Amino acid sequence: MNKEAAVYRRKKIVKYLLIHLAIIAFVVVCVYPLLRILSVSMRPGDKLISTDLSLIPAGAAFDAYVRLLKETLFLRWLWNSLLITVATSFIGVSLASTAAYAFSRFRFAGKKGGLILLLSTQMIPAGMLILPLFLMIMKLGLMNTYLGMIIAYSVSSLPFSIWILKGYYDTIPRSLEEAALVDGTSQVGAFWRIILPLSTPALSIAFLFNFTTAWNEYLVARVVLFSSKQYTWTLGLFELQGQYITQWGMFAAGSMLVTIPVLIVFLYSSKWLISGLTLGSVKG
Amino acid sequence: MDIIYSIYEVLWFALIVLMGIALIEGYFYYHFKFYARRWFFPAALVGFPLAAAALCRALGLAADPVKPFLWFLGSEALITLFFRHIVKGRNKLAYLLLAPAFIGLALLLVYPFIFEIYLSFHDLKLTTIMQWKNTGSLPFAGIRQYVNVFTTSPLSEVTFWALLGRTLWWTFINVFFHVAGGFTLALLLNNNIRFKGFYRTLLVIPWAMPQVVAVLAMRGEFHSQYGFINIMLVKLAAAYPILAGLGVGPVQWLSNYPLTTCTLINIWLGIPFMMVVILGGLQSISSSYYDAADIDGASYLQKLRYITIPLIRPVLMPAVTLGTVWTFNNINVIYLVTGQSGGTERADILVSALYKAAFTYNRYSYSAAFAIVIFAMLFFISVFYLKSFDAAKEER
Repeated sequence: MNKEAAVYRRKKIVKYLLIHLAIIAFVVVCVYPLLRILSVSMRPGDKLISTDLSLIPAGAAFDAYVRLLKETLFLRWLWNSLLITVATSFIGVSLASTAAYAFSRFRFAGKKGGLILLLSTQMIPAGMLILPLFLMIMKLGLMNTYLGMIIAYSVSSLPFSIWILKGYYDTIPRSLEEAALVDGTSQVGAFWRIILPLSTPALSIAFLFNFTTAWNEYLVARVVLFSSKQYTWTLGLFELQGQYITQWGMFAAGSMLVTIPVLIVFLYSSKWLISGLTLGSVKG
Repeated sequence: MDIIYSIYEVLWFALIVLMGIALIEGYFYYHFKFYARRWFFPAALVGFPLAAAALCRALGLAADPVKPFLWFLGSEALITLFFRHIVKGRNKLAYLLLAPAFIGLALLLVYPFIFEIYLSFHDLKLTTIMQWKNTGSLPFAGIRQYVNVFTTSPLSEVTFWALLGRTLWWTFINVFFHVAGGFTLALLLNNNIRFKGFYRTLLVIPWAMPQVVAVLAMRGEFHSQYGFINIMLVKLAAAYPILAGLGVGPVQWLSNYPLTTCTLINIWLGIPFMMVVILGGLQSISSSYYDAADIDGASYLQKLRYITIPLIRPVLMPAVTLGTVWTFNNINVIYLVTGQSGGTERADILVSALYKAAFTYNRYSYSAAFAIVIFAMLFFISVFYLKSFDAAKEER
């Protein structure tokens, strides 16, 4: 009996060991490229091009970071991205929060049609609308400006945001608003003072979603912006990586500076993002 | 100084947006307030389009005020009919809340779509674009662009049919490996092991990194001389001469195998999403099913086949659908890898060829027709798919 238990235990240990090994192998594959960027970004200036594979290069230094900040417009690119992204997220979330309230609390003619319209806009491939948007922006004379970018981005995440916010408002009991209405506020007052404060988690998720989409966007920026002063960071990094292999170090340094905050935000919010994504598609 | 100016520019824009919203809200508010008065409809039908045309003229949006007048007359007629016969003054707040979002969608999603259809029947290219910009008129082309889509190459030599085949292959291979990889990882992580949260966090890194950084970094790793993969191959060949004899050695990934490179990168990028979704599904399966199966003496594979897979289907199917659409429409990976000047077109799929035809080759009308063809294909596939999905639901 005891012997059998020992065999069973040994089998179990071997099994768990194998599982850990398998997972660790996958983890290495997932994390290694990031570590490589880190190591390249810390290579000293005279050894940028090398076939060295060590994670912390000999004579590690922050030359690349210093050069990136001094010789390129990296900070300006970050600033451009930030401005465009914050503006689009504000527009997107404020439009979505009110529209979602209408969908959640009212029964009106055209409600179902509106919801279907929202879903069907998701079927239009994003790449398809770049051309007409580009031409519209050109016609309005907004090429190479923040405004053009903000206009192009502002509604791209709107259907998704409306969809998550509606789902969240649906979970807030109506009796809260009814109590407020009895106490004499208007419907708008109830929305402003009760629903909006209660739905800060959903609002922040919608904001984050808008933010990350615009922050990581590349294809529209590529065609709207053409002077390097107006570039967003995605265009800047593409140019650094594309030109010469000698700029590898600066590319890597820039990548690290951009990636770390994004990673932190993502890890914090991924749980809600996923539930929002699959929720929308299940109903669709 | 630049920074102050840029803030000023954005604030100015915010002001325009706010004014626009106020205008829209006021416009609808007056419809609600006065829709029942007898004088309102004639007044609205004349007054609003006149005011809108004057505004367009003043802002310099249209040189000829007749066209906007007619446009607004048409939409005003529709809106007044809508108010008189459908809304009848009810649900004022709902419409006021919806108006800004829907007008935004109409201007920036629906209008571009219609504009693209218009473009596809005209001839806009590098030689006619200045004419269009100044006068707004374009030579009519009939269905010539659509014929061109099927008969000439969107880029320099690859044909539409080759692109279509490559796209289907690309979508299938990617989604297959995403699901297979995600499923394996989720099964591994679903055991009761230590550091589970830690592993999970590390495993989602490819998904969490900004895609531009992830793809460009991976592209660097495929560099023929300094990329990780070729360094490893060289080292392997040096350490084991037998392998070198078998042909192991550095590979020109980016120039000789661009599609393989893109596929490998995209598989790497897409597995974490599937893993997270499937893991969520696995964790919601009650362990009592497995206990019952254990009592019946079921093997691991049997449990997988008869419990796990049927029970995660409701989570898996939407994720696979979403993943298929994303992969089909993935311009980012391919463009970032092959998009530089002199980049190859042997890795292009439909959507990336669309992007390059429009912005590298400047064939605007052609790519508009191309986009409509792609959209029509996607549309029919998804209608068909949804129908079969509904049928499957009814069967159950």
